[in-house]
Amino acid sequence: MVESLSLILRGLQTTVSLTIFSLTLALVVSFLAGLGRLSKNSAVRAAAIAYIEFFRGTSLFVQLFWAFYVLPFMGVELSPMQAAVLALGFNYGAYGAEVVRASINAIGRDQWEGCVALNLNYFQRLRHVIIPQAIVIMLPPFGNLAVTLLKSTAIASLIALPDLTYQAQLVRNQTGQTLLPFAIIMIIYFAISTFLKSGIQLAERRLGADRTQPARSA
Amino acid sequence: MTKPIIRIKNISKSFGAVRVLDGLSIDVMPKERLALIGPSGSGKTTILRILMTLERINDGHIEIDGEQLCHMERAGQLVPADEKHLANARQKIGMVFQHFNLFPHKSVIDNITLAPILTKGVAKPIAEKRAMELLDMVGLADKAKGMPVELSGGQKQRVAIARALALQPKVMLFDEVTSALDPELVEEVLSVLWQLSTETDMTMLLVTHEMGFAHDFAHRVLFFDRGKIVEEGKPGDIFRQPKHERTQAFLKKILAAGHRI
Ligand SMILES: Nc1ncnc2c1ncn2[C@@H]1O[C@H](COP(=O)(O)OP(=O)(O)OP(=O)(O)O)[C@@H](O)[C@H]1O
Ligand SMILES: [Mg+2]
Repeated sequence: MVESLSLILRGLQTTVSLTIFSLTLALVVSFLAGLGRLSKNSAVRAAAIAYIEFFRGTSLFVQLFWAFYVLPFMGVELSPMQAAVLALGFNYGAYGAEVVRASINAIGRDQWEGCVALNLNYFQRLRHVIIPQAIVIMLPPFGNLAVTLLKSTAIASLIALPDLTYQAQLVRNQTGQTLLPFAIIMIIYFAISTFLKSGIQLAERRLGADRTQPARSA
Repeated sequence: MTKPIIRIKNISKSFGAVRVLDGLSIDVMPKERLALIGPSGSGKTTILRILMTLERINDGHIEIDGEQLCHMERAGQLVPADEKHLANARQKIGMVFQHFNLFPHKSVIDNITLAPILTKGVAKPIAEKRAMELLDMVGLADKAKGMPVELSGGQKQRVAIARALALQPKVMLFDEVTSALDPELVEEVLSVLWQLSTETDMTMLLVTHEMGFAHDFAHRVLFFDRGKIVEEGKPGDIFRQPKHERTQAFLKKILAAGHRI
């Protein structure tokens, strides 16, 4: 029993790291591709569209198998963790890119024109005026994506990454118990996603309420 | 002889098939204050937006302070300006919008200091000191730390004016800066413009439906209709003895709508 639990907890560590690394990669890629999608340069735009459509149009499973089983044939040898981070990060980055694009598009033309009248350059407009306002719009859909990503990390067990799901299977094979290990990981997944959600909600309140609403005077 | 600070030479502008400006030419002298009046859709906003580089022109040329605005020289030829040229040209021009266009996520003082810090490399304490002077001038020093959403329309517009002034442009463009305001808030914004007219000698272009204010504020009034100047002259002449019948009809309609001259 204790041994089973410690096996599963080792998986928890892997799942948490995998989630954090993939989320970070997905976030970076979301902004790169989302902004690329809005670029004035048509080559950049085309590249961003190609990436987004490709990764949304092919299965995450297949992408994971490519990263782990096919890339070695092209001379890129990845550990299970690296392959999983790559597949999850790029897959969710494609969805995140659409969130970034839609949120930036939701900022009114008057804000862009205010920036032009103040002679801010393109980077300054985004950095100081547009993105800070767009972030507030991005947070809820990003929160949903983050939770979905967490739940998807379970597929990494298919390439033998010893995450929660993999370890639960291990316990099942070793002890013959099925209900207990799977009940435990179900509770753990639920706990992490609840934790993630409340983190996002906290950020929403911070950014949303305090920035554009009147500062609550002391 | 002094040279015009703005030379608009035979410009045209179309939106799709609609020709909004048609072979328009205007010279504006340094320190001159111009009022642009005319019916809705006559192209007044479009002119200001073109000067602020928010719209491209289809034909003609514009010089600001002796330099091309929408064009630049390449191998002896004038070609459409690139972003770098535009950024350089924009330094001379400031604009205040009908709907203020303040940045809602930044405090009043940060709205004002943002551009001087970013575009001119002014140190933050200096930018803030200057912003406080400007806020003092527009009567809003006590709102410096507030957020735009806490302000009335008139206060927002005064902040927007201070924000544009912080970059010390040579030419200021005002596009119906009071027409989004409740009637009782118009005066406080006009009095800031009035103060600018008496205390500075900035070149200013004012699009307005406030004929009484245009009369007192402007050195010269241009009456537009359908993208062309129908009539221009001293405020006293245009408002008291308009020559063109379209000017007469327009002023009559404005007066009937309850505006004073
Ligand atoms: N982005 C645009 N796309 C298409 N048509 C436009 C655009 N901007 C302006 N127009 C048209 O150009 C014409 C002139 O518009 P403009 O805003 O310059 O008029 P205005 O004199 O400022 O009018 P108002 O007094 O109502 O503000 C109008 O017919 C308007 O519908
Ligand atoms: Mg207008």
